[in-house]
Amino acid sequence: MAFSCKNSSKFNGFSSCIKMVMVGTSAIMMQQRTLAMEASLCVKKSKKKGADSVTRPNSQISAAMAAVTPLLLLLLLSSAPSFSSGSRNAYNINGRVKIPQGLGLGTKGYALPGRMSNVKVLLNGGQNITFLRPDGYFSFHNIPAGTHLIEVSAIGYFFSPVRVDVSARNPGKVQAALTENRKGLSELVLEPLREEQYYEIREPFSIMSLLKSPMGLMVGFMLAVAFLMPKLVENMDPEEMRRAQEEMRSQGVPSLSSLLPGGARN
Amino acid sequence: MAIRSFLILFILFFFSSLNPILSLYEDQVGLVDWHQQYLGKVKQAVFHTHKTGRKRVVVSTEENVVASLDLRQGEIFWRHVLGSNDVIDGIDIALGKYVITLSSGGSILRAWNLPDGQMVWESSLRGPKHSKSLFLVRTNLKIEKDNIVIIFSNGRLNAVSCMDGEVLWEKDFEGESLKVQQVIQPPGSNLIYVVGFASSSLFEMYQINALNGELLKHESAAFSGGFLGEVSPVFSETVVALDSTGLILLTISFQNGKISFHQMPISNLVKDSFGPAKIIPSSVTGIFAIKMNAVTIVIRVKDESKLEVVEKTNHETSISDALSISEGQQAFALVQHASHEIHLRVKLAHNWDDNLLKESVKMDQHRGLVHKVYINNYIRTDKSYGFRALIVMEDHSLLLLQQGEIVWSREDGLASIIDVTTSELPVERDGVSVAKVEHNLFEWLKGHMLKLKGTLMLASPQDIAAIQSMRLKNSEKSKMTRDHNGFRKLLIVLTRAGKLFALHTGDGHIVWSHLLQSLQKSKVCQHPIGLNLYKWQVPHHHAMDENPSVLVIGKCGPSSDAPGALSFVDTYTGKELSSLSLVHSVAQVIPLPYTDSTEQCLHLLIDADKHAHLYPKTPEAISIFEREFSNIYWYSVEDDNGIIKGHALRGKCTGEVADEVCFETRELWSIVFPSESEKIIAAVTRKLNEVVHTQAKVIADQEVMYKYISRNLLFVATVALKGSVEIGSVTPEESWLVAYLIDTVTGRILHQVTHHGSQGPVHAVFSENWVVYHYFNLKAHRYEMSVIEIYDQSRADNKDVWKLVLGKHNLTSPISLYSRPDVITKSQSYFFTHSVKAIAVTSTTKGITSKQLLIGTIGDQVLALDKRFLDPRRTVNPTQAEKEEGIIPLIDSLPIIPQSYVTHALRVEGLRGIITVPAKLESTTLVFAHGVDLFFTQLAPSRTYDSLTDDFNYALLLITIVALLAAIFVTWTLSERKELQENWR
Repeated sequence: MAFSCKNSSKFNGFSSCIKMVMVGTSAIMMQQRTLAMEASLCVKKSKKKGADSVTRPNSQISAAMAAVTPLLLLLLLSSAPSFSSGSRNAYNINGRVKIPQGLGLGTKGYALPGRMSNVKVLLNGGQNITFLRPDGYFSFHNIPAGTHLIEVSAIGYFFSPVRVDVSARNPGKVQAALTENRKGLSELVLEPLREEQYYEIREPFSIMSLLKSPMGLMVGFMLAVAFLMPKLVENMDPEEMRRAQEEMRSQGVPSLSSLLPGGARN
Repeated sequence: MAIRSFLILFILFFFSSLNPILSLYEDQVGLVDWHQQYLGKVKQAVFHTHKTGRKRVVVSTEENVVASLDLRQGEIFWRHVLGSNDVIDGIDIALGKYVITLSSGGSILRAWNLPDGQMVWESSLRGPKHSKSLFLVRTNLKIEKDNIVIIFSNGRLNAVSCMDGEVLWEKDFEGESLKVQQVIQPPGSNLIYVVGFASSSLFEMYQINALNGELLKHESAAFSGGFLGEVSPVFSETVVALDSTGLILLTISFQNGKISFHQMPISNLVKDSFGPAKIIPSSVTGIFAIKMNAVTIVIRVKDESKLEVVEKTNHETSISDALSISEGQQAFALVQHASHEIHLRVKLAHNWDDNLLKESVKMDQHRGLVHKVYINNYIRTDKSYGFRALIVMEDHSLLLLQQGEIVWSREDGLASIIDVTTSELPVERDGVSVAKVEHNLFEWLKGHMLKLKGTLMLASPQDIAAIQSMRLKNSEKSKMTRDHNGFRKLLIVLTRAGKLFALHTGDGHIVWSHLLQSLQKSKVCQHPIGLNLYKWQVPHHHAMDENPSVLVIGKCGPSSDAPGALSFVDTYTGKELSSLSLVHSVAQVIPLPYTDSTEQCLHLLIDADKHAHLYPKTPEAISIFEREFSNIYWYSVEDDNGIIKGHALRGKCTGEVADEVCFETRELWSIVFPSESEKIIAAVTRKLNEVVHTQAKVIADQEVMYKYISRNLLFVATVALKGSVEIGSVTPEESWLVAYLIDTVTGRILHQVTHHGSQGPVHAVFSENWVVYHYFNLKAHRYEMSVIEIYDQSRADNKDVWKLVLGKHNLTSPISLYSRPDVITKSQSYFFTHSVKAIAVTSTTKGITSKQLLIGTIGDQVLALDKRFLDPRRTVNPTQAEKEEGIIPLIDSLPIIPQSYVTHALRVEGLRGIITVPAKLESTTLVFAHGVDLFFTQLAPSRTYDSLTDDFNYALLLITIVALLAAIFVTWTLSERKELQENWR
């Protein structure tokens, strides 16, 4: 995390670097919390119908109950029989996408499509595409054993692709790891690594930005020449100044006043 | 000294005030970019108009889109694009609130919430065998407030609950050769009939209890004549079929479990019948249609077995599905096409003679024929029935007809673009007024005051909205003439329907559209396919008065030796200048870099028999061509055999096809990849019109490297045979990827690199002297991008920049591809997070501006990535000199900066291709991304260094000038006063 941050700060500016670290750590903390809570069984042989109804969460479960679901799932799964037998070599991958509420709503002026309906979950670079149920669960059906890649596409969020091992030898065991930071997941709960801001934020009007701009610098320079130079000249030795003036006159360098139209009067 | 340091400080400040990231403010959305959403050709439509509230129509399309449209305006409420192998088989609305879709060959059933498109549930259905026949039957069966849908797929009948997608019961039909033809659910009963053919002459009927899947009856009867094609249900217990000759109509009734056949030769019904017929299935009770050649015959079935012809027409006819409008009454629509008009008739199923509705609608000829019609009814104020019809045209457009008018239309053909090219707009002439001068001074002042307020951040939300609309309304943007910066162009796109559209780059509106006759279904050409678009005539210099034109190449049918078809279309007017049906096939098209006196580009068409044909077929073109005869080389890639071949011309054709413009070819070289270990998955070459500004590249320590720039370089990627399958089924040990750089004139392999433990798909882009490719690294289980840069070593002794400047170099020594090139390559690989759908590179007029890669990610966004990130000279700790040169410290992965998504917060759903076109302004390039959606924007990879941007702070400039003027006057008076005082002294 720190490594990639150091490098990206080159382009993103220091502030985004800090933000990234903060998002990262909060994500890790959330991860740990969910780890303790949720069940770890997500991939299993789906030969039996009973298994299907178990892994498919009831659509009636509202978002408010989302926190309770894992416990429920755990209870149900512990009572479910193991499915080692089965003629066909096809498995289901079930998982969940969680978008923390605080992440999306904090920004103002930029309406994030907080709806889950535009989130897509892609397996192996688009070979299978599925969508999220209202409670964030998704599943891929009839997947052969092997090492797969799951990607989540959601506008406004950056998700790391996830490597998922579906093994034929011990079905029911999931091995998942984020490919971006090689962090292992004990179950398939995908959370965004960070939020994505597609637009630059307009900086509010300030005197400093005005002064720092090339125009402001030009004005500053002119003012400095106009007001500070005479002061410098005043502090000079009068004799030396007279000599310099005479020299200038002999060379025919016109003074400022003679340059201007009014200078012709004298 | 002080002034100098001040100046340096000044310049430093100047550059620090420029933002290093190319990005967009939210209020700039829509200024130079536009985004259009499409659906594709509608396959099925279901209306939802019963309830009060918004009236909708839900459609599924050939682009695998399921969408809900507003019936009033045709706008999209919500839309989902399913995976490319997740083809939608059927849709329906259940419970009045869910949209049910059946997809992936009948194995995935999903329900979507009708108001907002959120997926509610998903079920996976499996069956004992794979079969093509699929049915989604809506039932009115109610089991405790729940509806069930009956789905027949893969040899299994499923009853699925609409509430949660649970399979209530299932029944397998594992008969060896049973081909299920229809699943019929008679309204108001709890029975389901499954009818089908077994072993070509046996008719089978199963009667099933819809509530529990219990098999009630199974009957079968043999018919010696056999069966052909589909069946059409005419009554709930009667179907119509054709015998195997297609000449006899069979009415099969299975009332009370007894199967009986009635034969009726078509010749008895229609006097002058010719050839075998085809049944057009319809769901209308008692009526079906057959088609013989171009004649459509509508037949009514009376009393089980009596057939009666009610209509016979030569016009193209479409029949809608039945719509039950009241108890026991069914209505259906017939649409007939007659030159400039279409005739819509709505009839009751049991009463053919009367029309409920008869309308004629004027139709643009460039929409072609009516392909599908769906009807929906509403109740008028006088309590009679009114009907609206949704029609799908040949050009894939979707129209809603109501009361004889087209209420709205959608150009959904633009969802399936095959090829894109651009054309310049006409030059502004004297007659055309230049810029619209603001109406009066007051408005002009008001506008500028608003802008000033905006820049000073003093504007209220209303003001901001006013500024935004003012910016967007800028009439300059969508003018129909050429502009100084070359931002305004025409995008000419060819769609799968064989229609050519011209889109204006300013705001994306359709300038003209033309349904190409050469790409329409005809007697000679049953399945025309559009292939490519080429610039045919690009007038400049001495042919200024001619309009530019494009060449459209198509062919008849998918086979490689199908004859080709050419069309020439004027890009200003959209008129088809001429069209040619070729006798030869088109395997390859080579646009030659030569033009004739009318600025027509020479094209060489290679057919399947390896003959070359020159177009245009003029003596002038031939003489130009013969002059360059020995300089023309090309290559061909045969993916299936793993062979790359180089070709050249040999001489004029001999034999029976002696044609002035036909030439024999010869094979120069071939590279054969071992078929058991390597498979070609990508072959990429440079864009033909790419401009390279300089061959020399000055690196940090004042040394010069020479880019090896050749138009004849080909990048080829091959994978191990095992690795050519999808990700997830191979281990790193058994897969590898080999990248080659091949000279296409000599067939010499200049460079070859093997990536062990990697596999495809490979997406690559070739530009100047580098190639960037994207592939999957199985060991790390991440995507990787590699860059290969190729440098010419033979000129490496011209190291001194001064030598180069003074002309004492050997650059003028002749270059030939036959001399062995002395090249070195540099390469580097980086991780990249996302899967990729397409890669392109920005291109500018002179090639001076630095390049950006445009990466179409799997999330249908387009990411701009500086080429500097893919520089093989990147190191972990670059030296001071290298840092000054702009080399970025090396890290293992490429950065994804959200602000550099050129599509910002939008998605180009179903992204397929990215096209870049240079604008006249060197810093700017035009980007067009297409898929189901279209997106266009302007990009400035190194910011617009050659013009002021739109957000240039004019207010600040004004303030500065005023301040400077004020300072001048103040100092003037001060100095005057001082001089006066000095004079008095």
